[in-house]
Amino acid sequence: MPPSARALLARLAPDFPARHVGEIYTETTEFMRIGHGDVINLGERHFLVLRDEAERRFGLEDPKFWVKRCRDLQTGQRRILKLVFHESFPMTIGSMVVTCTRSPRKESRILDLVRGDDRFMQGETIPDTAGNPVRILDVVPGKRLDEKIEALEMPHRDYFFELFPEVLTHFIEACQAIAWLHARNEKHGDVRRDHLYVRYDSGTYTWIDFDYTFDFQDSPFGLDLFGLGNIIQFLVGMGQHTTQSVPPEVRARITTEDCSIMFPNRIVNLRKLFPYVPEALNNVLLRFSMAANVFYDATPDLIRDLERALDAVRSQR
Amino acid sequence: MNIEKILIAFDGSENSRRAVAYTAAMAGSGPQRLVTVAAIERPPDRDLFPDDASWKEECAHRVTLIHKALADARDMLLAAGLSPAWVETRFVESCRSPLRESRECSIGTSIALEILRLADEGGYGTVVVGRRGVSKQEEFLFGSVSTKIIQAAKGLAVWVVA
Repeated sequence: MPPSARALLARLAPDFPARHVGEIYTETTEFMRIGHGDVINLGERHFLVLRDEAERRFGLEDPKFWVKRCRDLQTGQRRILKLVFHESFPMTIGSMVVTCTRSPRKESRILDLVRGDDRFMQGETIPDTAGNPVRILDVVPGKRLDEKIEALEMPHRDYFFELFPEVLTHFIEACQAIAWLHARNEKHGDVRRDHLYVRYDSGTYTWIDFDYTFDFQDSPFGLDLFGLGNIIQFLVGMGQHTTQSVPPEVRARITTEDCSIMFPNRIVNLRKLFPYVPEALNNVLLRFSMAANVFYDATPDLIRDLERALDAVRSQR
Repeated sequence: MNIEKILIAFDGSENSRRAVAYTAAMAGSGPQRLVTVAAIERPPDRDLFPDDASWKEECAHRVTLIHKALADARDMLLAAGLSPAWVETRFVESCRSPLRESRECSIGTSIALEILRLADEGGYGTVVVGRRGVSKQEEFLFGSVSTKIIQAAKGLAVWVVA
């Protein structure tokens, strides 16, 4: 039985309710047992566990028992502690199934690599007494990009001409961040729109969560590029558009080739919905469509095309 | 274009064995041509393994298998009538391999471009590659060595064995 955290919390967190005081854990292998009121002790540092993190997707809460929202008892700052959880699982992408693996050491390595670069979440790794690499992450001071876009209440045309040029500018920087990883033979591994935050202070887009990996021998960065393609479709469209979500008269104009190569109901030929989307930008989207015969296999190629698309968008203003 | 030098892109798969068999049939009789069977090492992703020991073990296992497959490919070409002096095998280690010994290595971001680099440096006039016959979705996500070779090849012939 781990020792009680009562004396420690009385000293370092006197405001914490005594009835919720738990134990001190120096070993985190059994992360399910660690919860609200427990303290994780790593070397000289102590972290009061407030709750398990959860991911909200498709309106559902998915608890992540190995990720703890904490208070650093020395500094008082909020921290996220990611404990070691090895898993491999099949991820379905359209009609394909890809095996993904969660790799704590990959995330630790990338955290070291990107230290001081605010295009990426920041953190450090301290092993617990069993040698588990615990990742201590800063909370990104910002809001999820997709939530910001979804919260907009304005016609698409206004969004496209007033806000989108700046969104695209920042997104190109976010793509450059991914290309920077690729140039160092690292991949993000889980490029999704809810893994990109907009910083409150600078507006910089910041990537989070680097612990996924996958083994694509012939296209090592293929899944990252696929993720970037999904995000640019979302950003251009100010949300996702499917064959079910558009009015019947629009749907009548949509062909199979206008839809995503991986998701047959997702419309990527957005010029058919918004005719003012310049061709240079729409051509980028079409590289992710059923009509495509040539695909992006290197992030710099995507960035080059997005920069041309940005010029075209600006020239239309 | 040097039509007397043929480079086969080989990874030990059934498709690449078909490429060897086809080349054997084409080059086995008639004038002698230099045939090189080239394999680029593709070690598994280190992060997929819980520790370095099990990763190294798997890397070593794969190297053993590819050397045996290269030897089989050579035998296939010799059996078709090529002279031993005109058949070569080549194994290019990955820069990421924990077992690497040679200075030359493959950075592993594009097998297709590595093959074309070998062809260019060695003055090969023909590259032979097997094709898996993948769906458009698979090619989009996982890539295709044969498609990339076709797209990027310059100044040489590409034989695609499907």
